[in-house]
Amino acid sequence: MVKVKIMGVGNKKTVLIMKEKRQVPQAVKDNLKFFVRTKKEILKALKDKKKTVPDLSEELNMPKDKVLYFLMSLLKYGFVEVDGIDDMDEYFYYKLKDNG
Amino acid sequence: MQENKLKEYDALVIGAGIAGGETALNLANVGNKVLLIDKDLTVGGKMIMLSKVFPTLDCSACITTPKVSEIARHQNITVLTSTEASDIIQKDDGTFEALITTQPRYVVVEDCTGCQLCEDACPVNVDDQYQYGLVGRKAAFIPFSIASPRAAAIDIENCTLCGACERACPTDCIDFTQTVEKYTIKCKTVVVATGFQLFDPTLIPRYGFGRFKNVITSMQMERQLAPTRPFNTVLRPSDGKMPDNIAYVLCTGSRDKTVGTPICSQVCCMYSTKQAQLLMGALPMADITLYYLHIRAFGKGFNEFYAQAQSMGVEYVKGKVAKITEKEDGNLILRYEDINTGKVTETEHDMVVLSVGILPNEGITQLFTNRKLELDPFNYVSQANPLESPAMTSIEGVFVAGVASAPMDIPDSILSGGAASSEAANYIRHIAKKTVEV
Ligand SMILES: Cc1cc2nc3c(=O)[nH]c(=O)nc-3n(C[C@H](O)[C@H](O)[C@H](O)COP(=O)(O)OP(=O)(O)OC[C@H]3O[C@@H](n4cnc5c(N)ncnc54)[C@H](O)[C@@H]3O)c2cc1C
Ligand code: SF4
Ligand code: SF4
Repeated sequence: MVKVKIMGVGNKKTVLIMKEKRQVPQAVKDNLKFFVRTKKEILKALKDKKKTVPDLSEELNMPKDKVLYFLMSLLKYGFVEVDGIDDMDEYFYYKLKDNG
Repeated sequence: MQENKLKEYDALVIGAGIAGGETALNLANVGNKVLLIDKDLTVGGKMIMLSKVFPTLDCSACITTPKVSEIARHQNITVLTSTEASDIIQKDDGTFEALITTQPRYVVVEDCTGCQLCEDACPVNVDDQYQYGLVGRKAAFIPFSIASPRAAAIDIENCTLCGACERACPTDCIDFTQTVEKYTIKCKTVVVATGFQLFDPTLIPRYGFGRFKNVITSMQMERQLAPTRPFNTVLRPSDGKMPDNIAYVLCTGSRDKTVGTPICSQVCCMYSTKQAQLLMGALPMADITLYYLHIRAFGKGFNEFYAQAQSMGVEYVKGKVAKITEKEDGNLILRYEDINTGKVTETEHDMVVLSVGILPNEGITQLFTNRKLELDPFNYVSQANPLESPAMTSIEGVFVAGVASAPMDIPDSILSGGAASSEAANYIRHIAKKTVEV
């Protein structure tokens, strides 16, 4: 077994061996591109002001279910947080998380 | 890379849900060496994913976690995840040999600290199967916070091979050179505890699951109610609104010959009643309505639990839901026959939960080669002598535990694991005695 391992954090590169064996499918590349773009758009839209899912949907011209899915993923990854609920007690406001 | 190790155990337990876990612990506590395998990345089965449990409303994670860590620490138990057994052969002396196959996780579990730095570094976002698709996860990921082992895994199908996780890992435990491992083991007994799968509600197209975003399954609601929930609270998947009028459609895919499951799933009435109570707590202003055919509340404390839900204001409507349609605002119209009046009625709700039934896992019989593991008419593992020896199967020395034998709840799965472990322990003793005599 070949082991490309240079000790020390961040120096291990076994991924290179996998790269020789495996092609990354186009769908996986496309999915990454789409996520990176969507993440950027959502974070940018939340930069100045807290917003609800319908607010973001209108601003980004993206279906509300998609906005929720990505917003909740970003909440899980620690980029956004909840900031109260609207007057009707229906939709939460989300804002960028202050990561110090 | 293929390694050939011939290892010996007293027992092989297939499936590490609550039933398999209980069986393994009991066997190990009386001195047997147990190999406990699960095809998933974590042990704990469905129970570890639940919010709270009926009828006591105990936190499911709080009960599962200590058990799971006892299993992980037990010196007589070897746990292998991402692992399946096949080619099981019974020898003339009554013992077994099995081929064990472990899929690569691309992470050396023993060295992973669960620090999540690989997750932070990974740029990929795909559906999180442990949140039933409600939210995303990374391609380098820890299944969930109480997973056991609490170690990362690489989802190679969705990995872009960017190497960011490997560069971020402080313990150098990510290893893309891992390959499938296969080896044969010997054991004296086998316990099948492979549990169940959920009914796929797209098989009932008139309920709109998959098309209407606010029609979700009970397992998705279970996740929404759990402390490790996908959203910040219970929300409608269509637009993130807090729902205030939720309907449950009981018996979705149970007691329904048209979808091939004529039997009752045993747990849907009670888990729906549980979720309704939890929703009353999470959303105090919400109306919760359960559409049912019959409420089956036959277990210890169940009828009281049902009465408690009614006294909290949960509405029970005896009605057969014929069809669900979606309005433009995402609300749903339920068309149902009110069984008490015979009238066809329509009501509007802002979210619908389908109380999906449970189905046996397929492919269990194919694991055995020279003996036939019989199934019952509903494809669960047949109990050869349900009254005198409930864990006995059609193969001497092979036992069954939990939902692999029939739909049942957690207390019954634990009892069933208890029966399987004592019958398996007897068989191990019997084999040992025979070997000494020979
Ligand atoms: C929505 C919902 C809510 C519920 N709520 C409650 C509740 O509140 N209270 C209650 O008492 N019960 C509840 N239940 C029922 C409860 O989930 C089951 O009783 C319990 O999980 C059964 O445990 P088990 O170990 O038999 O099966 P499972 O939990 O299904 O475990 C089986 C394990 O075997 C593994 N496996 C399957 N096939 C193989 C294979 N070929 N090789 C290796 N491994 C394999 C699986 O990965 C899994 O980990 C609920 C069920 C549902 C669906
Ligand atoms: S190599 Fe794969 S798993 Fe690791 S960070 Fe890149 S995409 Fe994620
Ligand atoms: S694989 Fe490495 S970076 Fe990822 S959780 Fe484990 S120790 Fe941390």
